[in-house]
Amino acid sequence: MKRELFYSTYPLPGFMVLLVLFLVPVCMTLGQAFVVDGGFSFSLIASTFTDPYYLRIMAFTLIQALCSTLASLLIGLPGAYLMTTYRFPGKRLLKTLYTIPFVLPSILVVLGFVIFYGNSGFLNKAIMAVFGLKEPPLRILYSFTAVLLAHAFYNFPVVVSIVGDYWQRLDSSCESAASTLGSKRAKVFRTITLPRLAPSILSAASLVFLFCFTSFAIILVLGGGPSLTTTEVEIYRLARISMDTGRACALSLFSMLVAVVVMFVYSAAQRKQNHGEALGNQNVKLERKPRGFGQHLGIVIYLVFSLLFILCPILSIVARSLLGNATRSGGLTFSLAAYERLFAAGSSNLKAVAASVAIALASSLLATAAALRICTSIARSNKAGVATDVAVMLPMVTSSVIVGLSYFIVSKYMKFMPPFVLVVLAHCVITMPFVVRTILPVYRKIPENLVNASYTLGFGARQTFRKVIRPILMPAMLTGMVFSFAMSMGELNATLLLGTTSMQTIPIQIYRLISSYNYQGACALGCILILVCFVVFFISETLKRRSYV
Amino acid sequence: MKKILLLLVAVFCVSVPVVAQPQSEQVLTVYAYDSFTGDWGPGNDIVKAFEEQTGIKVNLVGASGAVEMYTKVVYEGADCPADVVIGISDSINVDQSLFLDWQPDCMADLSVGKKGNLVPFDYGFFAFIADMEYFKDHELPTCLEDLTKPEFKDKVILIDPRTSSVGLGLLAWTVNTLGEDAAFDWWKAMKDNALTIGDSWSSSYGLFTEGEAPLVISYTTSPVYHALYEGTDRYQAIDFTNGHVKTTEYLGILKTSKNVENAKKFCEFVLTQGQEQIAVANTMFPANGSVELPEAFKAALMPSRIVEYDTDAFVEKTNEYLTRWAQTMVL
Repeated sequence: MKRELFYSTYPLPGFMVLLVLFLVPVCMTLGQAFVVDGGFSFSLIASTFTDPYYLRIMAFTLIQALCSTLASLLIGLPGAYLMTTYRFPGKRLLKTLYTIPFVLPSILVVLGFVIFYGNSGFLNKAIMAVFGLKEPPLRILYSFTAVLLAHAFYNFPVVVSIVGDYWQRLDSSCESAASTLGSKRAKVFRTITLPRLAPSILSAASLVFLFCFTSFAIILVLGGGPSLTTTEVEIYRLARISMDTGRACALSLFSMLVAVVVMFVYSAAQRKQNHGEALGNQNVKLERKPRGFGQHLGIVIYLVFSLLFILCPILSIVARSLLGNATRSGGLTFSLAAYERLFAAGSSNLKAVAASVAIALASSLLATAAALRICTSIARSNKAGVATDVAVMLPMVTSSVIVGLSYFIVSKYMKFMPPFVLVVLAHCVITMPFVVRTILPVYRKIPENLVNASYTLGFGARQTFRKVIRPILMPAMLTGMVFSFAMSMGELNATLLLGTTSMQTIPIQIYRLISSYNYQGACALGCILILVCFVVFFISETLKRRSYV
Repeated sequence: MKKILLLLVAVFCVSVPVVAQPQSEQVLTVYAYDSFTGDWGPGNDIVKAFEEQTGIKVNLVGASGAVEMYTKVVYEGADCPADVVIGISDSINVDQSLFLDWQPDCMADLSVGKKGNLVPFDYGFFAFIADMEYFKDHELPTCLEDLTKPEFKDKVILIDPRTSSVGLGLLAWTVNTLGEDAAFDWWKAMKDNALTIGDSWSSSYGLFTEGEAPLVISYTTSPVYHALYEGTDRYQAIDFTNGHVKTTEYLGILKTSKNVENAKKFCEFVLTQGQEQIAVANTMFPANGSVELPEAFKAALMPSRIVEYDTDAFVEKTNEYLTRWAQTMVL
């Protein structure tokens, strides 16, 4: 009985965080869509969902997300195939490389893209120099292609990881049997492998779709103009520029609806995937050495492509931070000016770094504490646990633009809250689900008999949790915290929507510097973020090796 | 429990210095648009000179484009940390009650009148700037209508009137020279012909100087900057046969300011000693007529025809225009 009491009271603070910091503000925001002149009304909803202007924006958002998902699948699936089928040098490096986009903030993707693919970016300059061209040959930026490319860059590694992992664990005896019975390789793939992979492809696709659907910074900077506006950008514009919060809330409702639908598709695909996993683990697909020219060529092409695609934009950020122009249209020369300005005492950039670190520290501590408590409830896998599982997914699928909008609306009623606290709480809500996702798998693997042994030896629930369970979870908690720290450091959307002048964080400062065309300054700050990503990455890899289960 | 307490203390220690930024009464907070506060803008030099002369610390905040800056002020209302707002253009629909009724000592020297409680600090004329490097062997456009022609496809950078005062100025220019319906037809044609529609002057002008397109909407005075700092006449304003519209930028002291005396001192400084810096780095005509313009201002184009229009009437219809604009550009 006492054990039950512990497990029903311990997660309470976590639930409070979920309820007070997420559900209440977001529901208030969505509720505003039904308020016109202080009374309940459907008129705002009706006018938004019938206005051809907003309909067009919503349609475009869906279409671009769909196209981006297809592009990511197109690039990612061959990668998943190569990664599961062949053994080749550089594979580990590639795997490591594919985790980069997971931790890379979208503002850095934008920055890297502008500098590398821009009309006067490194790639165009290189091609112009080689072929002696006068005009830049690649005009990618400020178009639909730019958005697709950036989204694909950001998301194809997701496809490679999810589908590749699943493929690797797939029992290969069916394929072997079919081959023995005389089926051609292509037919085996089409009729046996592909249908069995479908759940994992679907879950990767729904995740990518969600990322692209709620993408903000990429559209804001790379889109170029009103015809490529998406729901999230329009929400930002309505709330922060046109002062039409009601309409912004109505559009948020649409965004939320789509997100929830996608979430259900994702959960369904996940369930199917887990079901499939249970089927077989004995005949794991064996990697083989590539044979013949074609296979070698395929691997080399993919390797080089991945390296260029992922590393070039990031390396250009580092390179560009060391190149400056003295006047508005002057040529580029080597200079450390950006770093000098960055580290000058009292510079606004240094303040932004301090603010970002403080926010990330506070929010990641808070998020980890809350996530641990929530995990104890979910891992119990009773009814309450399942409900919590769904509830925790919600902040994950809610776009950070909407979280920002919610906090912006709530902040009007809570003037006593310092902006620092608001930003910390918003970041905590945004990153917490990811910490839960890191801790939960480890928690679920803790052997029941270990806990029972502790009870038998006389420990109560509380002591067992402290002395047995928590130490086992420690590496996962740290990993989660470090990831939460990195996410918070790179968070732009919610912070921008909250828009408090006194809280300038690194990503906001980078956005401002990009807008005023100070690429060097933006890149110098960008390098700090890249450094953070690397440290985070290093820590999590070290922890992975040390984990207990 | 001990650990949690420690944790809380740690969080507290980290957050206090950030939350409690030293906001003594002496520090004056000034909002300005990004290109004013940026590396090449006049803001930093003016602030430095002012701080040295008076000992009053100034916190200069770049608040995005002029329109977003004004929205921010409205939203923040009584909590707005700013004392002074610089850079509200005459095409923005302003709630005058936000600002203190105030008259600078140098009012007599200003060549433009006050607008409600706002005081003008510079003015200019909208124009398209051409990169002559490209137009050495291409023909220059001579009027707005030319820009919709196929030869200027992807050669023009425009600015969004919903976010930028320059964009709003371009909208005013088109509406008041072409006529309302023709103006929106022009925008519709430009939707496909323009390379991009940037969200602020600084990003769009940056694109232009980076060489992404040879034409950009800006001011007739923009070439002055290049003549002055780069000694080049590569960038030239083009005189359009449609005529050009004038725009004035204003500054104001917020009623919520707890620092009114220092705010007045700062505004007075901007309107007198700061005017040369504004002329040079903001590259606009200074509002203060007694300021001697640098030689480089000869590079500024004086439009052969200036179109006068009723700014108040335009401002009143701004929302209607912007809705129509958005529909034109998106649908």
